[in-house]
Amino acid sequence: MAKAEDAGINRRDFLKNAAAGAAVLATPHVAPARPTETNLAKNPPPMSREAEVETPAPVEVLTEERSGSDFMIDVLKSLNIEYVCSNPGSSFRGLQESLINYGGNKNPEFITCMHEESSVAMAHGYFKIEGRPLGVFAHGTVGLQHAAMAIYNAYCDRVPVLIIGGNILDATKRMPPVEWAHSVQDAAAFLRDFTKWDDCPVSLQHFAESAVRAYKTAMTPPMMPVLLIADAELQENPIRADLKLRVPSMVLPAPPQGESGAVLETARLLVAAENPVIVVDRTAHNAAGMAMIVELAETLQAAVIDRGGRMNLPSRHPLNQTRRAYQEISNADVILGLEVNDFWGTVHSFRDQMERTSQLIAKPDAKRISIGAGGQLYKANYQDFQRYPELDLDIAADAQATLPSLIEAVKKQLDANSKSALQARGARFASARLQSLQSDREAATYAWDASPISTARLCAELWAQIKDEDWSLVSSVVNFVSNWPLKLWDFNKYHQFIGNSGGYGIGYNAPASVGAALANRKYGRLSVNIQCDGDLMYAPGVLWTAAHHRIPLLTVMHNNRAYHQETMQVQIMADRHSRGIDRAKIGTAIDDPDINYAKLAQGLGHYAEGPITDPKDLRPALQRAIAVVKKGEQALLDVHTQPR
Amino acid sequence: MNTQPYNRSAGSKEVEHKQQKRFVKGWSVLVACLIAILATSSPAFPQQTTKLGDSQNGKAVYEKLGCTQCHGAQGEGVSGAGSNAGVPRIASTRLSFTDFLQQVRKPKGQMPPFSTEKVSDTDLTDVYTYLQSLKPASEQPVSTASASKGERLYRDYGCYECHGFQGQGSSSTGGARLGPPRIPFSAFVSYIRQPTGEMPPYTAKVVSDEDATEIYNFLRSIPPPPPLKSIPLLNQ
Repeated sequence: MAKAEDAGINRRDFLKNAAAGAAVLATPHVAPARPTETNLAKNPPPMSREAEVETPAPVEVLTEERSGSDFMIDVLKSLNIEYVCSNPGSSFRGLQESLINYGGNKNPEFITCMHEESSVAMAHGYFKIEGRPLGVFAHGTVGLQHAAMAIYNAYCDRVPVLIIGGNILDATKRMPPVEWAHSVQDAAAFLRDFTKWDDCPVSLQHFAESAVRAYKTAMTPPMMPVLLIADAELQENPIRADLKLRVPSMVLPAPPQGESGAVLETARLLVAAENPVIVVDRTAHNAAGMAMIVELAETLQAAVIDRGGRMNLPSRHPLNQTRRAYQEISNADVILGLEVNDFWGTVHSFRDQMERTSQLIAKPDAKRISIGAGGQLYKANYQDFQRYPELDLDIAADAQATLPSLIEAVKKQLDANSKSALQARGARFASARLQSLQSDREAATYAWDASPISTARLCAELWAQIKDEDWSLVSSVVNFVSNWPLKLWDFNKYHQFIGNSGGYGIGYNAPASVGAALANRKYGRLSVNIQCDGDLMYAPGVLWTAAHHRIPLLTVMHNNRAYHQETMQVQIMADRHSRGIDRAKIGTAIDDPDINYAKLAQGLGHYAEGPITDPKDLRPALQRAIAVVKKGEQALLDVHTQPR
Repeated sequence: MNTQPYNRSAGSKEVEHKQQKRFVKGWSVLVACLIAILATSSPAFPQQTTKLGDSQNGKAVYEKLGCTQCHGAQGEGVSGAGSNAGVPRIASTRLSFTDFLQQVRKPKGQMPPFSTEKVSDTDLTDVYTYLQSLKPASEQPVSTASASKGERLYRDYGCYECHGFQGQGSSSTGGARLGPPRIPFSAFVSYIRQPTGEMPPYTAKVVSDEDATEIYNFLRSIPPPPPLKSIPLLNQ
């Protein structure tokens, strides 16, 4: 409950009362006849007797030194929020003005977005590179509704975002008609299923403590978005001179580690196993996490299957057996999942025909161990928690935080005599990895000169141009190009891959790439985005955001001119009914007319070329575009590609 | 509260259970052995074309042992998508007979070992010979008209959605590499009618045998890709 002394002076009440008082003094109870404009000019009305003899009405106070939103910005600065992504809105006008003037528009800096979904997805992509959250300002009603899909993606992907929604809770302070339509009793209600925590502070000190709590909550594994409602009255009312406000100190909690006995047992099983397999997904939070995954794998000489939620393991590491996942999972006697979102799907295959069937691909007696915090805080309504996995050991802890003790336990339990066996196992994997690479390269030769351009050719040409740069693939759609980057490129640094969207909500990739590129900017990295056409068209305005804020970014369109996944889905149904598939493109094709992404991008401030249809034209176009990006600008190449 | 079981899950579980039971019992034991064989196959394995046994008996043994359940009637295999690698194509096998035998007896992968009590070396020799016989259609050239018509049909029927415009396949759709085809026409048409993997079935009502022939001819007309060594971009 708000304390009266915390509430500050109510500006709107003050103005309203002052105006009302003046009105009472200055006008009779019976309203005079309404003067016309002509009459006023010719015959100004005489002063009333009361007005002539009474004390003049007080002058309206229309300015103030500081308002609550200044203090809110102080709080955000204390959290070291680097940017706030936002599409402007009146319910947080106080915050916005305080940020750009009082806060100097720096730490945080206001990033102008053209859709709230873009704001949140940018924050999502930024976190994947930088490892800390961005702020997002949005209307508590229409803004958060726009943002909802991106918030769901971040929730599924266990990514923290600090969202601040504006609202006017006091019904007497809402200006009709828009502010009524943009006000809400419980702004967080419809997001509560896929945010970790929310609050609606009623005083400035309450705001400060809740903001710090929100940040801590979001950043504690399992990380998720959090929402704070900043009431417009609280933002805009002056801070009373005698009000003592304080920004609370903040320390992030140590992440939860695995129970020591369970960790020892895990180590024992791994060391005793003939074919241990490590499966990683949303595992590494940063480069240190990646190094520990490598250390564990090398200590055991165990195969690692990377499900791609984060940058976990160098793509060409000899123990990276992701391309041979089926063989390794089916051959394993111990399977250790580290923050694996879908353990059931890791050990089963699933067939989508008339009768949907599944089959266990792991050995029935293979030991299954899970270490993860990601699955410890799911909600009931949305089903992203996947099918129930049967496990032999389930350790509720952050995997990266548990890795040091697990590695130590494994090293202690390893017998010196096992060295030669481990070496032999490692040699087998090294050989298999080389074979996979060779096989992938062979596969890439097919349709090499085709038009539309094969996705293999596109990715090989792109790799040739960036491999000697400090590059970062800020794209989450590698699966839509048949995973060619992961097959052909040498990923070996944490910032080179940002994983996937989490909730598979389309429209994520374009803004996430801009957010990740924003994080890369200060390090001078070359951010490269392979961009699906359908995804970009959800909210292409984010290209303007990149240009406006001088975020260097190379976008290469994977323009297959269709919602291709959905085309295949309709085909499946049409085939099932033997109705012919010639109409399967109705509702799924993005052609007639083909969208000219080069012109679109040019209109949004990018250097752009295309459509490129001849693979021989790719190399020079890429070279020109990269030269532009290296100058700190944005470039887009529209490439007509094969479906996948 | 709804206490009715969710049919699809229940059905899936039942099938899963049955499949596991059958899996352990053994008819598909050989099938999985063959999975392992092809899973480890690569162009590095030497081609062996020598006829070692009786192809007709090999076909009978292949069918009797239920290899068709996973590998299809013509050894065409099953494409998988994502982490599901599917079942390898085994027609025509590129393993040497020694490697083939080794993999069947002591497989790596999903299936348990397959002993001499279940299938003799002689029968495996015949199976191997049968698998070798499952080669693509004759080397007769495809007419330009037929290839052109086949290409149009290939596009019209949306084959390219999963397999690419030149039949190059895709690991993300699970569409197998088709061009140039590595299985005989009979296997090709058999598979599109009754696919064992994720591919939707194309009945004769949708794709006639004549149209399937033209599509197959188009796939045959696709030239082999350039040698890997000739593409510097793929060697870095």
